[in-house]
Amino acid sequence: MSRTTATTTSILDSIGQEITTILSPVSICMLLVVLLVSSLSPPSSLSSPTTPIRSAANLVYLETPDDSPSHKLQGALLNALVFVLLISAVTFLLVLLYYYNFTNFLKNYMRFSAFFVLAAMGGSIFLTLIQHFSVPIDSPTCFLLLFNFSSVGVISVFSNAVPILLRQGYMVALGIIVAAWFTNLPEWTTWVLLVALALYDLVAVLAPGGPLKILVELASSREDELPALVYEARPTVSRNGNRGGSSLGLLVGGVSESSSVELQVVSSENERVEDTEHTVIRIGEGGMGREGETSRLVNDVRERRSSSSESSEYSVDRNRQYGHEQSEIVVDEERSPLVEMLGSGNDREGREECGSETSGMTTRGIKLGLGDFVFYSVLVGRAAMYDLMTVYACYLAIVSGLGCTLILLAVCRHALPALPISIFLGVIFYFLTRLLMEPFVVGTSTNLMMF
Amino acid sequence: MTVAAGIGYALLALGPSVSLFVAVISKKPFLILTLLSSTLVWLVSLIVLSGVWRAFLPLETTAWWPYGILILTSVVFQEGVRVGFWRVYKRLEDMLDAFADRVAKPRLFLTDKMQIALAGGLGHGVAHAVFFCISLLTPAFGSATFYVEKCSQIPFFLVSAIIALAFVTIHTFSMVIAFNGYAEKKRVDQLFVPIVHLVAGMLTLINLANGGCIVGIPLLYFMAILTLIYCGQMVWRRLTENQSRR
Repeated sequence: MSRTTATTTSILDSIGQEITTILSPVSICMLLVVLLVSSLSPPSSLSSPTTPIRSAANLVYLETPDDSPSHKLQGALLNALVFVLLISAVTFLLVLLYYYNFTNFLKNYMRFSAFFVLAAMGGSIFLTLIQHFSVPIDSPTCFLLLFNFSSVGVISVFSNAVPILLRQGYMVALGIIVAAWFTNLPEWTTWVLLVALALYDLVAVLAPGGPLKILVELASSREDELPALVYEARPTVSRNGNRGGSSLGLLVGGVSESSSVELQVVSSENERVEDTEHTVIRIGEGGMGREGETSRLVNDVRERRSSSSESSEYSVDRNRQYGHEQSEIVVDEERSPLVEMLGSGNDREGREECGSETSGMTTRGIKLGLGDFVFYSVLVGRAAMYDLMTVYACYLAIVSGLGCTLILLAVCRHALPALPISIFLGVIFYFLTRLLMEPFVVGTSTNLMMF
Repeated sequence: MTVAAGIGYALLALGPSVSLFVAVISKKPFLILTLLSSTLVWLVSLIVLSGVWRAFLPLETTAWWPYGILILTSVVFQEGVRVGFWRVYKRLEDMLDAFADRVAKPRLFLTDKMQIALAGGLGHGVAHAVFFCISLLTPAFGSATFYVEKCSQIPFFLVSAIIALAFVTIHTFSMVIAFNGYAEKKRVDQLFVPIVHLVAGMLTLINLANGGCIVGIPLLYFMAILTLIYCGQMVWRRLTENQSRR
């Protein structure tokens, strides 16, 4: 197109970056879960009821297809209640442990559970895949590969020297595995559980005295990172690797509110309960004004830069534009109307940042709890067991809910639960699609009528 | 048929959209968001329509007129939604321009506006293809295929993919035409879009006749190509005007 000459880039290039950096991993996670579910579940899943698994999520009531709806509903409600109670108990325990500074214990526990998830649950999924596609592989090789896979995963969870891309990849992998496992739950229990978790999330993050709120506040008052599994959409990635194919080279994006010098990190949270860790978006902001800004430039793994040196070989004009914008930033706060931004920052994240990677530089990023990945994917995976149409509807609903949450985040600037809006929209769209739209669409399109 | 056939049908319906997405949309996050929200808008409009029509379905009659009414109401409603979409977009454009002023960057270029319109149209088109074609493809990945009685020469999935492709084209480019028409306040463009949409919808009624798809599909493609040419001419005119003015 004749449009952008080298010097003038339109604002269209930059807006919305933050949202897409978080949307792409979520989309990848959901896509893979849907593929997994639809390839593994036998086509005639209705006719051949597999033996339901026993887990914390259905302690009380084991759903069988023959039960009456009211019975199922009651049982599902009980299951959800018990599960939520369990989760809140465990979360309070975590908060307590964190309060008394058992941070190392918590981290090791996280590592252990990451290993458990990757090796045991991931292993069983791989085994099913191998059987299903009859992959010729011998058991020692398989075991070795699995062990390596899990070990690298454990290392990547809390250590600094791991490329961010690898870490993000493992977070998505964890999400996929847990979500795939959750889709084994019976149908009614899944739906009620999702709604209950969304409500729980709402309370735990927003209500005064909610465990996640306490945890987040504790962590930010200690300037500590949360002992939790959290996906960070961080703009500074190694040069070749922007996440998830959303080739957004330029990270200008929004613009942060530059005025604040020190960070008030605002939130984050998470909790984990036997493999479901479920969390919120955390937005850190503040940051060190200009220096931070520059450092967000694309590839700075090795070049650590002071504000003046923009050595990246990324096109000069980008830098120029960047610098330009930056000067503005100092003057006034500009927030894009649509997006929020977060300059987050700095010293506290410095430490989790890879050692080689400019410590002390500002990163800004949105953090999304792994639990959100998991339960979004559970919803979509459950929808995939019905039909593809519900999958698309739920996907769109969840993504738009996430978008709304991100916009709210820009407005409120403190930790928000990411589950409620998305899950409610997803559930509503699922049932609307299933009950209303499907007969309509099937009816018209099998008559080859479209509009 | 097999997985290959399923993928083939899906690509037949969505291939051009995918390349458009990769080439234009995926480079700019804002366009991705526009596309997603436009897809959502279309989905909501479809849900509303199906909610209204749910009581009357399935239509038992073989007469064509109930289907005609169905398509008429749907098209009218969707064109109403398009006007609403335009209003929202207009406010968004003002916000973006205000934002651009604040960060001292140039305002939206003409091509930017067109790309936003394209993303919006592509969202509508993709939503159409996804819900009317792709979501019915699940059986196509299995080992059988399916024929409808009225169009017994071609497998159903193939027909629906071909029809979906035509509609994707119409939806995508008519959004560009419509936005431009609203912006320039040109009555012709504003009317062109609903008429094309309505005619294309009505043409699918031909498929109700036995063997009608042999006639209906070429006519549908005529409408799609008409939209494409009209849109191309309009964009070319706007761009050259813009160039000369500068």
